[in-house]
Amino acid sequence: MPGTISFSDAGMSFRLYRERVDTLKEAALGLFQHRKRYEEFWALRHASFDVRAGESLGLIGHNGSGKSTLLKMAAGVLKPTEGKVQVEGRISPMIELAAGFDPDLTGRDNIFLNGALMGHSKREMTAKLGRIIEFSELGDFIDQPVKNYSSGMYARLGFAIAADVDPEILIIDEVLAVGDERFQAKCMERIQSIRKGGCTIFYVSHGMGSVQSLCDRVLVLHHGALVFDGEPAAAVERYRELQGFTPDTAQARTA
Amino acid sequence: MVAAGPGVTALAAPFTALWRFRELVGLLVARDLKVRYKRSVLGMGWTLLNPLLQMLVYTLVFSTIMKVGVAQFPVFLLAGLLPWTLISVSVTGAAHCLINNQGLIRKVAVPQMVYPLSVVASKLVDLLLSLLPLALLALALGRPPSLAWLSLVPTLALAAIFSAGLALLFASLTVFYRDMRHLIDILMQVWFYVTPVLYPLSFLEKLPYRWLRGAMLLNPATPVVRLFQLPIYEGRAPGAAEFGQAAVAAFGVLVVGVLVFLRHEDDHIHHF
Repeated sequence: MPGTISFSDAGMSFRLYRERVDTLKEAALGLFQHRKRYEEFWALRHASFDVRAGESLGLIGHNGSGKSTLLKMAAGVLKPTEGKVQVEGRISPMIELAAGFDPDLTGRDNIFLNGALMGHSKREMTAKLGRIIEFSELGDFIDQPVKNYSSGMYARLGFAIAADVDPEILIIDEVLAVGDERFQAKCMERIQSIRKGGCTIFYVSHGMGSVQSLCDRVLVLHHGALVFDGEPAAAVERYRELQGFTPDTAQARTA
Repeated sequence: MVAAGPGVTALAAPFTALWRFRELVGLLVARDLKVRYKRSVLGMGWTLLNPLLQMLVYTLVFSTIMKVGVAQFPVFLLAGLLPWTLISVSVTGAAHCLINNQGLIRKVAVPQMVYPLSVVASKLVDLLLSLLPLALLALALGRPPSLAWLSLVPTLALAAIFSAGLALLFASLTVFYRDMRHLIDILMQVWFYVTPVLYPLSFLEKLPYRWLRGAMLLNPATPVVRLFQLPIYEGRAPGAAEFGQAAVAAFGVLVVGVLVFLRHEDDHIHHF
C-alpha cells in the first residue's frame, strides 16, 4: 500500500577510517600492510517500527542520535547494513533544501530538474509550475540563475517544489528553521493541509512545539537506539528525561 | 527457459528503474549542454572547432611531416577521431560526475546510473553535431558522403553503448580512488595511439611481431572506430562480420561497466 514505511531490525554502520585510503597509490601500498584501518560505528541499530499510510510520525533525539541516518534510510538514499527497510510510495524529501539545485540553471529550470528527480514528467511539472512559483514568492527572480539567490530564497523554492509534487510520503528534516516567521507559518499551514490530504509525514525537528502540534506519534532516538515509540507528549517527556534538561527548570535555575 | 525467468527479471530491474527516469536523463543532458554553450562566446562553435583544430595539427604532423601515406588524410583522420573523442570525453567526463552530483545523490534515491549515462548522451549530441562539418569537408576533399553513411545509425548506437560501459566503470572507480583521474589521462593517451585513428588498420596487420600484432588486434575500441572509417572514408557500409565484432566489444564493455557499477552503487555515498 502506498504511504507505508516499515523498518525491521534495521541498522546502519559507518566505517570511521583512521587513515583513509582514497587513492590508488595508497591502495597499492596498503597491499603490503594488513592492519585494520577503520572502526565500525553504528549510527543506528535494531530499529523496528511500522508507519501506516496517512500517519504523521515525529522523530526526536539529541544531536548525533541517528535521526538524519534514519531519515536517509527511509528516503532510500542509505541502504541498511543489517535488517530491512521497506518503503512504499512516492517520497518527497525535504532534506537539505538547497542540495537539489544546479546553481547555473534558473529557478524555473531547477523546478523541472527537481520534478524529474522525483519521477515527474515535464507535462506534470508544467501543470504545477504556476502554483510553485506563486508559493515560493520569487516573482521575477524565477528566471535568474539560482546561484544569485539568498539562502532564504533557496529554501522557499525548495519547500515550494517538495510540497507540490504530490508525495505519498513527505520527509521533513529541520527545514523550517530557514525563512522568516511569516513564511515558516505559511509552510506549517501547507504541511498541515498536505497531512489532511492523507499523505504520510515523517517529521524531524528540535522544536518540541511543532512536533507535538503536527504528529500523532513520536519516536525518540538516543545514541542510535530507538527508546520510545508512542504519544507525542510522553515522547517529549522521555526525551527531556534522557537529556536531563527541560527548558522550564533551566529558566528556574538562572532566575 | 522457465528457470531463467526470475534471473532475467532481476537483471532487467535496474533498466526498468532507469526507464522511469528517462526524462531526468534528458534534463541532465539539457542542463549540461545549456551550461556549456551559454558560458562561451562561441557557444556551440567550440564543439565543432575542437576536432577541426586537432585535425589540422595531426594532418600537419602525420601526413605532411611524417608521411603516413593515406590519401585525403583529413577525412580518414576525422572519421576515426570523432568516435574516439566520444569514447575519451565520455570517460573523462563521467569520472567525476558522481562526485559532482553528490548533493543530489545524498538527497534523492534515483538510479545513480543516470549521471554517467547523461554525460555520454550529451557527448553523443556533440558527435552528431560535428558530423555535419565532417560531411562538408569530405565533400570538399572529393569523398562525398554516400548511402553507406546510413550505416552510421546503428554504428552510433554501438559507439554510445561502448562509451556508456566505460563511463559507468570509471564513474564508480573514481569515487573510491580519487587519483583515478591521472590514471585515466595516461590510459586514454596510450589507448589513442594503439587504436588505428592516426594510421590505417592495415599498419597493425603488417606488424612484424606476431604477439604484438595479436595484442593490438584485441583492442576493443578498434572495431568500433572501424565502423566509422568504413562508410566515411572508404565509402562502403560495414559487413555483418564487422558489425558483429563491434557489437561484441560494445556489449562486453557495457556488461562489465554495469556489473561493477551496480555492485558498488550503494557504497558510493560512504566515500564522498
